[in-house]
Amino acid sequence: MRALKRGFRNFRRHPVRNLVVILLLFVCLTFSLSMLAVKLASDSEIQQVKESVGNYGEIKISSDYQMQVFEAERSQSESQRTAQARTMTTEQELAQRAQFLVSESTTDSFSQQPEVMTYDKVLEARISVDDLTNTEVQSLLSMQQRGGGTGPEALSSNSFQFEGNTNGASVSDFMVGSKQLVEGSFYTYQDYVKANPVVLIEKNQAETNDLSVGDSITALISGKSGRDAEVELKIIGIYETVQAEQSQQGQGETFNPAGNRLYAPLSVVQQLNATPGYVQLGSYYFDSEDSVASMQQVFDNELADGDKLQFATDSSSFETISDPLTKVGKTSMIGLAGALGACALIILLAMAIIIGGRTRELGVLKAIGATNRQVMAQYAVEVICICLVAIILAMGVSALISQKMGNWLMSGNTATASQSTTVSGTQQGQMPQMGPGATNSQLYKEGSGFSSSSQAALKLNVVYKGKLFLYGILILLFIGLLGMAVPVIWITRLKPARVLSIE
Amino acid sequence: MQDLLEVRDVSKTFKAKAGNVAAVDKVSLQARKGEVTVIIGPSGSGKTTLLYIIGSLESPDSGEINVFGEDVAGSEIDLINYRRQRIGFVFQFFNLITALTSLENVTLPMDLASVSPTEQRDRAVRLLERMGIDGRLQKARANKMSGGEKQRVAIARALANNPDIILADEPTGNLDSATGKLVVDILVRLAREDGKCVIIVTHDESILDAADWAYHMQDGKLEGIEAGA
Repeated sequence: MRALKRGFRNFRRHPVRNLVVILLLFVCLTFSLSMLAVKLASDSEIQQVKESVGNYGEIKISSDYQMQVFEAERSQSESQRTAQARTMTTEQELAQRAQFLVSESTTDSFSQQPEVMTYDKVLEARISVDDLTNTEVQSLLSMQQRGGGTGPEALSSNSFQFEGNTNGASVSDFMVGSKQLVEGSFYTYQDYVKANPVVLIEKNQAETNDLSVGDSITALISGKSGRDAEVELKIIGIYETVQAEQSQQGQGETFNPAGNRLYAPLSVVQQLNATPGYVQLGSYYFDSEDSVASMQQVFDNELADGDKLQFATDSSSFETISDPLTKVGKTSMIGLAGALGACALIILLAMAIIIGGRTRELGVLKAIGATNRQVMAQYAVEVICICLVAIILAMGVSALISQKMGNWLMSGNTATASQSTTVSGTQQGQMPQMGPGATNSQLYKEGSGFSSSSQAALKLNVVYKGKLFLYGILILLFIGLLGMAVPVIWITRLKPARVLSIE
Repeated sequence: MQDLLEVRDVSKTFKAKAGNVAAVDKVSLQARKGEVTVIIGPSGSGKTTLLYIIGSLESPDSGEINVFGEDVAGSEIDLINYRRQRIGFVFQFFNLITALTSLENVTLPMDLASVSPTEQRDRAVRLLERMGIDGRLQKARANKMSGGEKQRVAIARALANNPDIILADEPTGNLDSATGKLVVDILVRLAREDGKCVIIVTHDESILDAADWAYHMQDGKLEGIEAGA
């Protein structure tokens, strides 16, 4: 206590000298703490990104396999194909329809991996609905007819895109927020299990066809005709499209869908598509981004089936998003190390100068009966006071400037990341298509061609947290102890008789 | 008079480029309470080294220092206690801590010896007043004072823990003759009135007049000479 008082008294008695040291330390500590705050923020941001990006994977038919099948079919003549179709058994017909689909048993078996946190199955199919008009396709077809062309055989003004999964609320478009339910309710997992014939319809479509929740529409099972082919679907919910669809050509938003997409339980869509037991993809969220590599290994070893299936992940999205944050984290660590080094140098030099100028005082203290511990404690208080004032000031100022420093560091790295995203986006494809099969590199989790919210993660939110104060105290202790090293060495080696004899 | 301090066959050698130098060579002396002992000699004769050995700031290569018949050599703690309780130093260059006031300089040894703050202040004020340092000067920083004032504050500091022995190293060396005489008078008074054992090392022969016992030191060797008192 007495040493504390003596140390504090000495600290007050040398204001100019202390102010110079405090100012120098303050500058370096402000920079250190700002860099530390940026580092903590970037780490926290990466962790948040990890929770939403990078831990997703899906199993679907590979594009290479699709190309091989197309090539094989193209090598056959029309008559050969017709003859082959005539002689097909029921099983062969199913296999033909499901040639670009994945067996549910495959996707189910993969879901047994302990790393899998959530699992969904998706099937998308074009289905005819007699009592519903697809205005978008109708106008497209009439334009082509006026121009003397013919529309694709599969398309008609009653043709709709059905998307089925195990739970309506888990549909990616609803998850990413590009679509939202405005009336009624989602179909549930029980609807999927029991194959309840229910459906979600788009708001514009419902208004055009004067439909509301509770009404029914009649869909036709693919490849069948007559009364047996009809399935009555009850409308249980109406959704609206919130977000404009994005062009993959980088030209910004292009058009809003005219409501040609309906959502129904997977089992219902399988029935309508006449492909029971087959899905377009299995969709999985893993416990962590770190599990993706081992999941890839399991897939390669057990499920790949040559090159028929592919395991697509969003790890490249994770890398794209986290790369600027990682770079900012690294830069801030270098800055932090440099600034702390400067702090260490300043305190060592300052204490060497201070102690050097007070050698006689040390000698006197020893001559009048001070123990080494008493002298050290007194100087420790002086060092701690200097460091404490500097770090308190630095914490205050760095709280004000950390966000700006973070933004400045991010701005350089984000520009690079945006460039690389644009380049890869242009390479992905030319047509703004929708749905899980739109482009093979498009992931189901990203929604049906709507703008991804992933860029939002590039913001760096530098918040002063308790952790930073803890690190601040550690830095204070580090500098304080380092500063103490000089007096400790000096005091233990000092010979008062030599010092006191000097004129 | 009772022998307080006995120095017996003390030697101290320093290493130098030219070879070993015997700063103190088998020196013996006795000093008593209430008496002034003066050691006179030219610069480099070893008198300051002898004083520091007596004050335990230097350790002797050989020999003994006894105070009241007890050898002062011991552990570091023993030596610190010896410096706190038995010894008061007065230096040629005053060696006050310039950042502190004269009052704080005097309370400092008491603070180190864990004397209560109230007693520290009372005792320091009494000592400074006795040395002719009044209230205004008590609050002045040491670097704002004259040489004589500084030396009087230094004597007050030396007396802070009421030691038995006052060791004065060239106490008049940095003062004019009138102020120097005043300081010597104070030291003599401390011996006569307070019963302190005062040992002064100096090259100023005029101080011999105040000495009860005088020694001449040359090349580390000590020999008794006639004292003025």
